[in-house]
Amino acid sequence: MSDAPPSTQPLVLIEDVHTYYGKSHILHGVSLQIGAGEVVGLLGRNGVGKSTTLKTIMGLVQPSQGRVLLNGDPITGIPAHKLALRGIGYVPEDRRIFRLLTVMENLRTGLDRRGVTEGTKRALLDKVFKYFPVLAERRNQAGGTLSGGEQQMLAIARCMMLEPKIILLDEPTEGLMPRMVSQIGAIIDALHQENVAILLVEQNVPLTLSASQRVYIMEKGAVRHQCAASAIDVNDPVIKQYLGV
Amino acid sequence: MDAVAQFFQTFPYDQLLIQTVNGIVTGMILALVASGLTLIFGIMDVVNFAHGELFMLGAYVGVIVMVGTGSFWLALFIATLTVALIGAALQVVTLRPLIGRDPLNTILVTFGISLILQNYALWQFGPTSRKINEPITSHFILFYLEYPWYRILIAALSAVIIGGFWLFLKYSKFGVWIRATTQDRVMAQAMGIPVPLVYTGVFAIGAGMAAASGVLFAPLVGVNHTMGLDWVLKAFIVVVVGGMGNLGGSIAAAIFVSLLESYASIWVNPSQAVIVSFVVLILTLLFRPTGLFVPTPK
Repeated sequence: MSDAPPSTQPLVLIEDVHTYYGKSHILHGVSLQIGAGEVVGLLGRNGVGKSTTLKTIMGLVQPSQGRVLLNGDPITGIPAHKLALRGIGYVPEDRRIFRLLTVMENLRTGLDRRGVTEGTKRALLDKVFKYFPVLAERRNQAGGTLSGGEQQMLAIARCMMLEPKIILLDEPTEGLMPRMVSQIGAIIDALHQENVAILLVEQNVPLTLSASQRVYIMEKGAVRHQCAASAIDVNDPVIKQYLGV
Repeated sequence: MDAVAQFFQTFPYDQLLIQTVNGIVTGMILALVASGLTLIFGIMDVVNFAHGELFMLGAYVGVIVMVGTGSFWLALFIATLTVALIGAALQVVTLRPLIGRDPLNTILVTFGISLILQNYALWQFGPTSRKINEPITSHFILFYLEYPWYRILIAALSAVIIGGFWLFLKYSKFGVWIRATTQDRVMAQAMGIPVPLVYTGVFAIGAGMAAASGVLFAPLVGVNHTMGLDWVLKAFIVVVVGGMGNLGGSIAAAIFVSLLESYASIWVNPSQAVIVSFVVLILTLLFRPTGLFVPTPK
């Protein structure tokens, strides 16, 4: 593992991105990259622009300056639904499962795509039900009736239905019990084994450092530090400086 | 006690039954109109003031097809399809560019469309009412009335269309997309659902349902350029009473409000019975603004 970004063409490259919400300048020239199959952590205090970075990649927020590339192709301005079909998966901070849809219908939203054969659908469902057996048990239950941890599993499983090349994972362990947290850690590892890249935004520093190959640390809407995850630990002065833990 | 006993002895039970049938028939048509309206609101936050004119347009297309072919069923089918396509075109041209803008913009646009369609109909067809003949003219005896079977057919057909639509929403791919987009349009996009296409599809379906109800109802009242006004007003009442954007609530409210109006017209003039709807509307807004037929918000 090195602290340098991958030398080959990155899967996702963000160059000098500036994003505004109305008149509030949120991202002040963020640049970062994620290689194929790489797990990258994005750390920082609340409100430094981590979630906005994810939304900008997903096309849910348009940058006013700078560009986002997917496999070398500029994707700025492309609607989110097209990016989802091109391999960018998004698991938002508050899970945002479709509460009135059943577990199965939630999964169908990502499964009913053009060009997906019945065989592929079956295989994808089998895979997520193997990872998350509880979802198989609750497949006909409304998403809103699941517990917080189960909803998080559903959000990740739903995203996996799109067969993404990269998953933008925003605070997946927020508000979860410790047992669930380690389960989320395991699923990140499993996705990594399948060569799915992950951009992980997380307040849980130990989890981020153990799950990621590299980390970026953001402050005030810009990346201030990047290094290999193995190069630092929770007590590192850098972590103390930017995260205050 | 005597007064109570007297009330029950003289109570017009026959009229009560007749008005129940009437209320259900009107309620089913109203449910058909209101379903489109509530669906469009629920998914796009668009208050479609042109909905009544889509109803009227459906009836006129029905008149044209009836004159050309003489077939009521063909008229129903072609009117539904034509107005659905017109609805899709209207959505793409006028509403799609306004997505994300202040809701006032879409209100003004749909109001404008409603005026244009109304005046276009007046210009093309003149102020005289046109007639669509009912496909069945037989009657059955309901107490002292010869009750037309056609009215029962309207209720049944509306129920079939609404039922079919419910199955479509529940089981089809597009239905799941519609429900997902209604709940969370941002997340729907992130799941690869083509939200702009879903919007257009929903507007087309709503327009088609309005047109179908226009054709179904035309034999009872005649077709003129203002026929949509009454219906859209009632449909709005129903949509609010049923809980904005709540399909099941709107259907229940349509039947509930129509039944109340029918029962009221046992004692008062039918034009005064409309007051009941407004009373229900005001009471709903005062005491249960989320709608009568939705679970209490937690």
